[in-house]
Amino acid sequence: MWLLAALARLQPATESQAEDESSLRQLASGDQTAAAGLYDRHARPLYSLILRILGNETEAEDVLQDVFAQAFRQASRYDARRGAVAAWLLTIARSRAIDRLRARRTRVETVAGETKTLDEMPDAQPDAASTMLDEERSRLVRRALGELPMLQRMAIELAYYEGLSHSEIAERLEQPLGTVKTRIRMGLLKLRDVLTEGRA
Amino acid sequence: MTAHEELKASAAGYVLGSLDPEERRAFESHLAGCAECAEQVASLRPVVGALATAVLQVTPRAELRERILSGAAPRAGTDARIHDRKSPAALTWLPLAAAIIIAVGAGIYAVRLQRQIGELRARFDQAQATTAVLAAPDLARIDLQGQQVAPDARARALWSRSRGLVFTAANLPPAPAGKAYQVWVVTAQAPISAGLLTPDPSGAGTQFYMTPADIAPPVAVAVTLEPAGGVPAPTGERYLIGMP
Repeated sequence: MWLLAALARLQPATESQAEDESSLRQLASGDQTAAAGLYDRHARPLYSLILRILGNETEAEDVLQDVFAQAFRQASRYDARRGAVAAWLLTIARSRAIDRLRARRTRVETVAGETKTLDEMPDAQPDAASTMLDEERSRLVRRALGELPMLQRMAIELAYYEGLSHSEIAERLEQPLGTVKTRIRMGLLKLRDVLTEGRA
Repeated sequence: MTAHEELKASAAGYVLGSLDPEERRAFESHLAGCAECAEQVASLRPVVGALATAVLQVTPRAELRERILSGAAPRAGTDARIHDRKSPAALTWLPLAAAIIIAVGAGIYAVRLQRQIGELRARFDQAQATTAVLAAPDLARIDLQGQQVAPDARARALWSRSRGLVFTAANLPPAPAGKAYQVWVVTAQAPISAGLLTPDPSGAGTQFYMTPADIAPPVAVAVTLEPAGGVPAPTGERYLIGMP
């Protein structure tokens, strides 16, 4: 199946996980020089996720800094049995970004002040070859997500990227709570099947 | 449904982190003693991991590396900065329009800007924009009623000043050849075109539109039938109208 084959090719190399584990061991023993490697391997996907959640570069940069500070500080707590270092870092990033988003929601928003000036427009620089891989992987998962029925996809996106609870999603989508739970479950199970199909 | 089945249904919400607090506590205490639920949670975790990477990949600014690795305190966010990439979700209509106007008259510089704009547009993810509107803190809802020409038509506009407009319509009759439906945000000053709406054969359609951040508060949202391609101000028959 196309997605499986493609993802299998793109699975993060085990050497990278080994490097990550060794970086964390060094950090845990107080050797800060390992921080650079960890940053270089993970800053881009972490920043991308945080930026997707917050939609604001300044805040995303602050949160990325918090995430690495936490990772460097808690390096000794990483447990390889519970998943790859990349997944551990992404979990920290998502949780920090959602905390920031929720804090922002409780403040009164100044909605009109978001206008960007021209010099804030991004530069159209070509991506470095090293980023092609996560670009491609990301595209494939987005495609799988795009194949879900719209309401399943929306419920999942509101939960994961916007940090809304089931009852908040039910309210936004004007659906009964039970329906929202079912949609989220169906959607995730379907994504799981698509992502793992044929791998067994 | 047994208690176990009911709780197992919470596994997806648990890994996504979207359970309400009480539900989460109930599921966690069940999870500790239920191998089947533990297995379900374990099998769904990689899916959530995939969601984490299913976003547009953006490289952080080079300066950030130094700041983070040196453990320096965050600088004030006001200094002049060169941005590497811009989140599509952060786009507003206004800078794009301004960029287009300048690009028309600005020679070589225009070529670069136009390339950027094209790239930004290509990256803009409609579905992502839609969920952003739904989650907006300033969300407003406007229901539209079918007018004489299409009494069965219904529509709903979900509008956030900061995030844009999501428009969903149903039961619109097929647009005749050479004609198209156009969505208008009517302000006290003038109707502003949101854009065209192309319903599917059943007459249903959902579309995201960016609206200017400085738009006057809408007094109505309307859909008219216009010449294909749209017009700058409404001329045709009104199909749907709704007021906040």
